[in-house]
Amino acid sequence: MALMKVRELKLDIPKEAKSLAERMLKDLENSKRPYLEAVKTSLDNSEYSAKVGYLTPGGKVVRTELNVSSVQKLARVVFILEILLRNIRINAVNTKRELYYICKGVIKGNLRYKPLDFEDQNESDSIIDFIGDMLEVYREELNCYANDRGGQTYSQQLVVTEALPDGDKATIDLSSLGTSPFQPKNKPQALKLKAKKKIDFCLVVESEGTAGTLQAMGFTKRNNCILMGAQGVPSNGVRGWCKLIENQLDVPMYFFGDLDAYTIQNIFRTLKAGSAASLIRNSDFSAPNVRFLGVLPSDIKKYDLHTYKVKESDAGDARALKKAKDALENDPFFKDKKNKDLAEILRWLIKEKIRCEQQSYFSIDPNDPIKTEKIILEKIRKGDYV
Amino acid sequence: MKKYQCLVHLKGFFVSNKITKSSTAEYFAKNLQQVGFSSPLKAVLTTLKEAVDNSLDACEQAEILPDLEIQVVKVGTGSSKNTDLIKIVVEDNGPGIEADDLAKVFGEYLASSKFGKGQCSRGQQGIGISAATTWAQMTNAKGVQVTSKTKGMRKAISAQVDVDIKTNTGILRNKENVDWKKNNGVRVEFVMDGRIQLNGDGGLLTYVEGTILVNPHVSIRYKLGDMEWTEVDRVSQTSPEIPGATLPHPHTFKLGEFITHSTLYGKTTLSKFLKTGFSRISDQSISDFVKKGLPKNLLEKSLTALSDEDFKKVFQAVQNTELMAPSTKSVLTVGEDSLSKSISRLGEVDFFSVVTRKPTICDFKPVVVEVALARFVNRGEEGTPVQLLRFANRVPLQFDKSGCAITWAIESVNWKSYGLSQPKDSLPQGPYVFAVSIVSPFIKFKNASKETIDGSEELVEEIRRALMQAGQKLSKHIRQEIKAEDLERKLAHIEQFGPILVEKLVNIVGANESRKKKAEDGLRKILGRDSESAQSELELAQTQLAQQKMREAKKTGSSEDDMVQVIAEENKVSSQSAKIKVKPNAKGADKTSAKSTKKPKK
Repeated sequence: MALMKVRELKLDIPKEAKSLAERMLKDLENSKRPYLEAVKTSLDNSEYSAKVGYLTPGGKVVRTELNVSSVQKLARVVFILEILLRNIRINAVNTKRELYYICKGVIKGNLRYKPLDFEDQNESDSIIDFIGDMLEVYREELNCYANDRGGQTYSQQLVVTEALPDGDKATIDLSSLGTSPFQPKNKPQALKLKAKKKIDFCLVVESEGTAGTLQAMGFTKRNNCILMGAQGVPSNGVRGWCKLIENQLDVPMYFFGDLDAYTIQNIFRTLKAGSAASLIRNSDFSAPNVRFLGVLPSDIKKYDLHTYKVKESDAGDARALKKAKDALENDPFFKDKKNKDLAEILRWLIKEKIRCEQQSYFSIDPNDPIKTEKIILEKIRKGDYV
Repeated sequence: MKKYQCLVHLKGFFVSNKITKSSTAEYFAKNLQQVGFSSPLKAVLTTLKEAVDNSLDACEQAEILPDLEIQVVKVGTGSSKNTDLIKIVVEDNGPGIEADDLAKVFGEYLASSKFGKGQCSRGQQGIGISAATTWAQMTNAKGVQVTSKTKGMRKAISAQVDVDIKTNTGILRNKENVDWKKNNGVRVEFVMDGRIQLNGDGGLLTYVEGTILVNPHVSIRYKLGDMEWTEVDRVSQTSPEIPGATLPHPHTFKLGEFITHSTLYGKTTLSKFLKTGFSRISDQSISDFVKKGLPKNLLEKSLTALSDEDFKKVFQAVQNTELMAPSTKSVLTVGEDSLSKSISRLGEVDFFSVVTRKPTICDFKPVVVEVALARFVNRGEEGTPVQLLRFANRVPLQFDKSGCAITWAIESVNWKSYGLSQPKDSLPQGPYVFAVSIVSPFIKFKNASKETIDGSEELVEEIRRALMQAGQKLSKHIRQEIKAEDLERKLAHIEQFGPILVEKLVNIVGANESRKKKAEDGLRKILGRDSESAQSELELAQTQLAQQKMREAKKTGSSEDDMVQVIAEENKVSSQSAKIKVKPNAKGADKTSAKSTKKPKK
């Protein structure tokens, strides 16, 4: 059975890999040092324009040329590449962890490969990532899938139609799922979205638990909306799903999460513009129109919210502060004028050295179980977001 | 054991109208912890140490090359709680002790031939061995069993010596004449409560090995605890010449001592006192003193006519004038050559470096520092602190290392720059032995049990310099090793990963066997070039090490030709190992190493 495609890929991976290997072999035959090049996936090679909406790769590449020190890496790259090509050929899929064990199995079966052995999964993961960056393809296109995490979605209006690899179609009316959410997979799916009735907004909540509470208290019953839990840093599945909602439904999307540097930088920024580590896939895995609904610094005063001190004496806190300062100086996303309000929040966090959790809304009126919902709706109505 | 040659009179202490006479023996019997008997472990070590110190001192005084036999074994259960009954036997081939002196040597406190003499002998005060007798007596109701024979005796004398604590006198019991195969020597046997610990800072083996290291002229046969008998032969055939008690150097004095010293010279003139009462003062020095403010008119005055104020002026002028360093004869050294040979007696040495500093003055005392740093093949491990052996006048110091000047000096050196790992403000780490020896007629100890050297800034700095010199030498060995490892790693990489890279590329491309072979050849050429540069780095490191060895050889007088031979052999081995590793599948690399073996060595 054919696998679903994550996008229309113009590149033929086996063909590309073969010509790469051919070039390297030729270099060796001519006693020339073969090399491999991959997009440099780091902040210093990230570009951002508000018009595009997500981080894109700059011109820098990581070049690994054959020498006594790099021969191990090159040997490992071609070793894993061969396994991935076989998977593509026979339509087999694996997770990174499984690939790690497959490598170990192959090595165990042939003593000559012993020097290649991977001590832990990080070692094989970095090679797999390098291959993706080198061929400029997604890991899913190398048949390497991650497990599902986050994206549990509730709605009374949303209907999803999924085209299955065998040609069948499945129609999922989210209002008919009872208490169960719809969850996007962390692997390619062909989904078509339709709104039974006009959807006013989509709310992405950082905490899966809080999203569940809002749902349990009737949030989607009272509002024509899509409610989604992100479960921390959004997985590729969640990012792709948000992108799909944005593309197909054109509804305003809001993010509701903690007020701290980590949430702004790692969770919200990744959802909105992708990350430096995944430069080559941000175009399909970011939702540039998502807005930061809160917790906003102004909410703290307005609702008298409980805060925690960020202590420079605490190693974790100190690191977060340093990263925030660094982001203001070097992250093209925060440097862009369009995102100056977000940068302002970061600056405020660095200055005030406090943080405030999304659940603190529940302290405003402990007797009203839907107070949080009311505040969220009020904020949306008043345009109180960034 | 020259202790017996000296007579010491004892006085009781009169405290009040009621006469309470308390003997020195009584005092020490009550305070044995002050002299190294504070625990069962320390009791055994201190007893062994005192017996060995006395034997070695006696042999050296009589210019005899010492043959020692040491046995420390458990023979039963001790009388006190949690102790064993331990037998400690030390037998030497020294001059022996006359029958009349036995009681004094082993049973009387402060009866010493060495007290305050200003010599670099191991023992100084005459407390230790009597304290050991007291401990044996207190815990096992029997003092020490001694057998002694001097050249003049036809038969050896054997007796038990006890300490009469009330009167501080030794008592001889069961005295008898016995046949002994030896011409001369002493055998002491203590049976006492104690416990045996072999390794670690306070271990018996640590003590014996330390003694072996700094006494290259000693042969020792020993059995400690459950160990088998072990024999270690001497590597030096000359008995160290014990420097005589030379005249003191004026810079070792403080004003009060200076004035007291003058009273020994009666009515002598000042200039004569200066020239005959001290070392390193000549006529030239006298005129230098005058230049530095010594009133010229005092020179010919009688000492008795000088006021304290005059003495102060003289003293200041003397202190402000540069004088020759104290005579090198007033301190003795093991020497770099002997130390180098002696190290190998502790086990198979990987490499080592030794430094003997020139004698100098620290804290107004002549002192000489010697350092030996060595890495052994089967000793110590990475990630643990180096084994530190401290010595004062060739006696191992085994307790309270953190308070010792030697430890401070080691910790103050940045060992990382010499290639060793070192946590902040700590001893460096790795499978090394650091031996640091301080020799001086007047070592300032922190306590009576002589466990730690009190450190002034001057002394610590002097030790530090010696350590840094030794560290520099050591780093040449380490660097050479790192480069060799680097080359080996690179060669191994080529050998291991190269073929896999080619094989996998060939698989992906679907290439034929001839392309595979061609690519393999190409790979070898490329990586051979890399190993060539690693090879030349190694060669540079080897050359530097070789040069150092040559310098050392010149210094210690070994034949230069021998050294060249050794170095050439070493280089040959390393080049060959490179060659052997690459040969099976690396033509290019093969050529490289072949070239390197032909390279002329400096």
